[in-house]
Amino acid sequence: MAAATGAPFQFPEIYSFPPFFTRQPNEDTWKEQRRQWCDLVVAFHRHHRRSSLALAEAVAEPPFANRQIRRALRVDTLREIVDELVNQGHAAWSGPKNTRDTCLIFWRKPEVWAGILHRWASERGLCNTVLTLYELANGDDAADQDFHGLDHATLRRSLEALQGQGKAQLFVGSSDEDMGVKFFP
Amino acid sequence: MRKAVGIGGLRRQEAERQALSRKGDELARREVAKLQEQVALMKTKLEEFVRDHQRDIRNNPAIRMQVQRMCQLIGVDPLASRKGYMAELLGVGDFYCELGVQIIDICVATRSANGGLIALDDLLRRLALRRIRGSEPVVADDVKRAIGQLAPLGGGYRIVDFGGRKMVQTVAREMNPDTSTVLALAQQTCRFSAADVRLALGWDDGRIQACIDDMLRSSIVWVDAPAAAAPAEYWVPAFFSQLGASLA
Repeated sequence: MAAATGAPFQFPEIYSFPPFFTRQPNEDTWKEQRRQWCDLVVAFHRHHRRSSLALAEAVAEPPFANRQIRRALRVDTLREIVDELVNQGHAAWSGPKNTRDTCLIFWRKPEVWAGILHRWASERGLCNTVLTLYELANGDDAADQDFHGLDHATLRRSLEALQGQGKAQLFVGSSDEDMGVKFFP
Repeated sequence: MRKAVGIGGLRRQEAERQALSRKGDELARREVAKLQEQVALMKTKLEEFVRDHQRDIRNNPAIRMQVQRMCQLIGVDPLASRKGYMAELLGVGDFYCELGVQIIDICVATRSANGGLIALDDLLRRLALRRIRGSEPVVADDVKRAIGQLAPLGGGYRIVDFGGRKMVQTVAREMNPDTSTVLALAQQTCRFSAADVRLALGWDDGRIQACIDDMLRSSIVWVDAPAAAAPAEYWVPAFFSQLGASLA
């Protein structure tokens, strides 16, 4: 996995606009505000290659807080933004049902990962062989791949998407790590 | 061709078909490359021609029209060199038309964020990002002229002045005079509170609230309420973008 180092994340101009952190009462303005937040969240997670998000803790940190202008998003506003990301397929609530406290951000949608994984397995001649999820994400075979180091929850969802298309079969193990997968050509 | 029968015949037919299609592709590729070369040559020649025959083109509308048509046909952009010889010779009407389209494009795209009010400077900055690299910069006067040309379309585009700050307004409705007054008040700081308005203009609370509600409704201001206890402030994104541009 390409390390999350290098150039710092470039925040958009609106990140310095104080009202960006207050949920706008006007519905049209809010839709625009939410759209900009969704873009920012996905871009930020892509930059840092991060996928898990705990809402209550997150609002104290960038991108949901801006210390320079001393503004932070409220948890309930962030919850609405994540709801929208879920609608778009860019996030999924995780943790206990209906609490909406933690989520996974897919900076690349699972269906897209699915295509990438399948292509890689086909090119490497790894079809019809059982691989563990650990091997897939952390093995030397994929050290140069974008999905190297991808978290297991996202990986699992991507493979489930592939299974849904009949292009892979998942085998349940004792833990997520030794869960297996077989790709079909 | 002799009628081919049997498996062997079918295979041979297939092989011939493939060979023909390969040959066809190759010919088409060569043809395209040749055409591209010719168009590039044509462009250079056309530019040379225009340079060499400036006076004739300027004085003879028929020739001017023909050159302009040729430019369009082969994709030489007279707009890209607006203040250069091409545009001067060919007339700049199309330039403002195209600029007008770009202005509408930007205004519509930013409308939900700024309520259809955009600082002239900000608009110029966004236009500059869209222009073809190396083309003459667009100046405020060009925008004014292009907006003038948009008038027949009835989009309500106009340039308004708030305390010396030029803004392009792109909503068809007439702006409430109270809104204009408050915007003029806020143009230095980008923001205002109800107390600021009361202090500066001496309005009563009802009038202030009605004005703020109206501005919120049309997305001209965004509310900033970091803490429930502190009074809210209202920010004008159109002014803020300009601030951002001058800092950048």
